[in-house]
Amino acid sequence: MTLNDIISGLGVTVLLPIIIFFLAIIFRISVKKAFRSAVLIGIGFIGINLILGYFLNNLAPAAQKMVKFTGVHLPVLDVGWPAAAAIAFAGKIGLFVIPITVLVNFLMYIFHWTDTIDVDVWNYWHFAFTGGLVYALTNNLWLGMLAAAIDAMLVLVLGDWTAPAVQEYYKIPGISLPHGFSAAYVPIAIPINWLLDKLHLDKIKADPESIRKKWGFFGDPIIIGLILGLVVGFLGNLKTLNMAKSWFDILKLGMSMAGVMYIFPKMVAILMDGLIPISEGVRGFMKARASNRKFYIGLDSAIAVGDPAAIASAMILVPIAIILMVIIPQNQMLLAVDLAVLPFMVVMTIPITRGNVLKTVIIGTVIIAVGLLIGTNLSPLFTKAAIQAQFKMPTNATQISSICDGSNPLTWFIVKLMNSWYGVAALFVVFFVFLYFYRKHRKAWEIIAGASEEAATKE
Amino acid sequence: MKKLKILVVCGTGIATSTVVSRKLEEKLSERGYEVETRQCKASEVESNLEGIDIIVATTPVPENLGVPVVRTLAFLTGVGEDEAIEEVISKIGGDVQK
Repeated sequence: MTLNDIISGLGVTVLLPIIIFFLAIIFRISVKKAFRSAVLIGIGFIGINLILGYFLNNLAPAAQKMVKFTGVHLPVLDVGWPAAAAIAFAGKIGLFVIPITVLVNFLMYIFHWTDTIDVDVWNYWHFAFTGGLVYALTNNLWLGMLAAAIDAMLVLVLGDWTAPAVQEYYKIPGISLPHGFSAAYVPIAIPINWLLDKLHLDKIKADPESIRKKWGFFGDPIIIGLILGLVVGFLGNLKTLNMAKSWFDILKLGMSMAGVMYIFPKMVAILMDGLIPISEGVRGFMKARASNRKFYIGLDSAIAVGDPAAIASAMILVPIAIILMVIIPQNQMLLAVDLAVLPFMVVMTIPITRGNVLKTVIIGTVIIAVGLLIGTNLSPLFTKAAIQAQFKMPTNATQISSICDGSNPLTWFIVKLMNSWYGVAALFVVFFVFLYFYRKHRKAWEIIAGASEEAATKE
Repeated sequence: MKKLKILVVCGTGIATSTVVSRKLEEKLSERGYEVETRQCKASEVESNLEGIDIIVATTPVPENLGVPVVRTLAFLTGVGEDEAIEEVISKIGGDVQK
């Protein structure tokens, strides 16, 4: 029996709890706490696997019928961030991502390459996801781990760069948001914002609070899921609308999708719950070693997505995303679960536009349009990564992807370059050029990222 | 003894609010309170206020809800956790018996 046999024989619901248990012990968590959190992690995976199976078994046949009867060819199902995170943590890179990220962060802090101490262990999954796609592409574990590391490196510097603007706008002193998904859009949002200012669009103001009050009902994930299920079901049954059974199916699909939208994140909460002790261990470990110099505490961008401008912009972007999905000819993604993740997509754009809803929606439209193409392009790798992580895919050759992180431009950029060692070298060049110019012109860079003269780092 | 009902709010109702809920349950039960937490998104606060004694949020929430609000990142950063717990207790006032 080889190590590989043991790994695949145990499966993620047993293997990951074992690894998490020992990791927790290393980070000096008590045995009782470590044991309980390890078991919870296994339970989280069981829950996610159940809902993912339910989702695919319901939506996949309906989507195929829709393709058959309408010609709307969207065979790549958006399984959303809950599935993406589970695939990331359950893959081979996911098993190592916590020590990798802690080490990378610690070294970067010592070398003065970052001022962020990223204690948001849950969101290390973004790095594991990028690494997992590279592993699926190359079958090389070292390249996969390297990809996770360089993703973390880039995101940490993005977190530093945006920290003054984020702290000022969201009134969260001492915090940065090194979030692998939200931060990825900053380099795109900045030039578009500059262009929109030249067109004087910053003068047009919409009131986010009244948008939220008026349209809030339709921004609710369960309502989005319900409507989506009804529409896909309706289109799939276009030819048989005179039969009662068709209508039963349409209504059932609507309800199923509403259920998925509600239950899926709850399953992820179990995983997060299980990670809490390790997060605290990592936090204690890193802070004890970082206290000789001022640092930002890196947290989840979830602490900012309650902002009215972020909520309002994301609500407006839901129908825009659906229109884009239908009219962009190269797109093959059927958006579903991740229609609920759009606030995370714009949350770090908001400080750049200073809460301007119109500008944020325009920037969001561009990144969703590009994101659909990226998500389509990465879907074969995404599906392969899911299979490698032992998630059961329906047999009818369904492909999967998601907005978060299947449509993530930073993930895409890394995956595409990681195809060869030249690409790896190029990635490191990009990182060091980025780091050098940011550190050299820190104040100016932070101001274009939305910080005021006073908030930007003093030179 | 009345249960202390806390609405824990973050951007998703899942991510950071799970961490904060566990912390509140742990820290407040150490001080002899019986705690029940409910989690929701910032945009759902108004429809989840029924029976709630206090809101603890990691993200901006609407104003004038008629329920005391503590907005804090202490349970995420690990800085000032005890002060945040004191703030929660002081804002509950005399309504809830220990």
